[in-house]
Amino acid sequence: MKILIIEDERELVNSITEYLSGEQYLCELAASYNEGMDKMSQYSYDCIVLDLMLPDGNGLKILEELKRRGKEDGVIIVSAKDSLEDRLKGLTIGADDYLSKPFHLSELAARIYAVIRRRQLGSQNIIHQGEITIDVPSRTVAVNGHEVVLTRREFDLLVYFISNKNKVVSKNAIAEHLSGDFADMLDSYDFIYGHIKNLKKKLSEFGADNYLKTIYGAGYKWEV
Amino acid sequence: MNRLLNRSLKKLLVYAAIVLCCSIPVYYFIFSTLLQYELNEHNIILTEKAGREDSYLIIAMVTILTVLFSSLLLVGLVLLNRRLSRKLWRPFYDSLAKIKGFDLNRHQTVDFEPTDIAEFAELNANLDKLITSSISAYSQQKKFTENASHELQTPLAIMQSKLDLFLQEKNLSPHQYQLIRELSAAVARTSRVNKNLLMLAKIDNKQFEQQEMIDLSMLLKDIIDLLREHINDKSIILETNITDGISITGNKVLVEVLLQNLLFNAYRHNWNGGELLIHLDATGIIIANSGKEELDTTQLFKRFASTSGGGTGLGLAIVQEICTSLGWSVRYAFENRKHYFYVHFT
Repeated sequence: MKILIIEDERELVNSITEYLSGEQYLCELAASYNEGMDKMSQYSYDCIVLDLMLPDGNGLKILEELKRRGKEDGVIIVSAKDSLEDRLKGLTIGADDYLSKPFHLSELAARIYAVIRRRQLGSQNIIHQGEITIDVPSRTVAVNGHEVVLTRREFDLLVYFISNKNKVVSKNAIAEHLSGDFADMLDSYDFIYGHIKNLKKKLSEFGADNYLKTIYGAGYKWEV
Repeated sequence: MNRLLNRSLKKLLVYAAIVLCCSIPVYYFIFSTLLQYELNEHNIILTEKAGREDSYLIIAMVTILTVLFSSLLLVGLVLLNRRLSRKLWRPFYDSLAKIKGFDLNRHQTVDFEPTDIAEFAELNANLDKLITSSISAYSQQKKFTENASHELQTPLAIMQSKLDLFLQEKNLSPHQYQLIRELSAAVARTSRVNKNLLMLAKIDNKQFEQQEMIDLSMLLKDIIDLLREHINDKSIILETNITDGISITGNKVLVEVLLQNLLFNAYRHNWNGGELLIHLDATGIIIANSGKEELDTTQLFKRFASTSGGGTGLGLAIVQEICTSLGWSVRYAFENRKHYFYVHFT
């Protein structure tokens, strides 16, 4: 899958590329507004990661141009400006998601995964992971054909881990994923233990392998 | 304190009075010498009694005349001075009133009335210069906070992303994991302080002007729902008393941040099994949580006054700024081993 990263901070681009490249993603870079505009108009991507504040122009213009051309690329805005107006503007023009800096790479990966699948598969968005089948639009999970009833949190966690396959995901990244901005204000991430414990228990009850490994002192890893 | 005009007039009057008083013996001396000379010239000799009567007469006349003219002079002087100076100093008092009404927060320059008096024109010109540069320095300082916060987000994003990558390294020791975790927490905290600073700068810069009707009861319940899971985890006893249908007009982002900050504080600074009270009616909001001892009320709402328990030290400063900008007031009290925060919609 092809991803275009339009971002002028070289180091951030390197990190994103390195994180995403291990999996099925192929990343292309554009370090400026003009370069981004060129690549966007010449090629098609599964997803575009778009920074708004570029040295030679506003990233929103690239989004506008993309929509004007009727292109189907998914767009995730990544911005240092966490302003509501920008967020609304971006989403109104047609961005699929908005992520404010700083963010965890696992969060970006999860958003990219979700955007691509939503755009390409629509209602057929079903994830197969060995004996686990996840129907994303209807938010149902089955193991070996048996339906497993998960809470909203447990479901979110499952999809989050699968979109970060074979990656160590830290506890604070998980807390931020579950609680959004509120994670900032919680002084302990203990609440995620409970959810993860329950998720593991429910999946193994129906005979699913133990994919979710605890990395002591670091976080969790969905290993396949 | 003396007013400028009264002070100069008083000195003038005292001086005039002294001169006139001193003139009485001089007049007397001159008159009597002249009289004596005339009498001698015409060989008129007065009896001692008549001479005494004459000198009394002279003294009386001189005194009466002096007093008469001096009062005329003084009254005229006072009236004239008052009229003249009122006209003369009017531009000064004008400028003074305008400076008094000046508010740096409103970003409005002051228009001084044109005057044909050189000194006042110069004064006004310099005041104008001073005010203009104050306004520009003030807004530059505010813009600076905003820009600095923005600029910091990107390097923070780089740090965070490198830490996330570092975490993927094979064969890391538990100690290395711990270091990564601690670094990550510090990055998150820096970013939080940064976001809060940005929030304050934006409130200061009046970037939340958009007003709308907000169903406060609903908003409050939504935020409580977000917190409910964490409240249960901490076994906090939640007691809510929320009147339905309380609506206010204001900026939704600000009101949301206000409620979030107060509620999250009440949750974070609570203990396991503590109490959390939330009350809303048409007059205001009360949020209370169990606490050990009274907080320092003089420092409570100041920026960076307290950074307890990993907080940013800006939460309550933001609460107060938002209340001020909405025209509300916020008050803290420690009653029955609970921290109470009262927000009044007035």
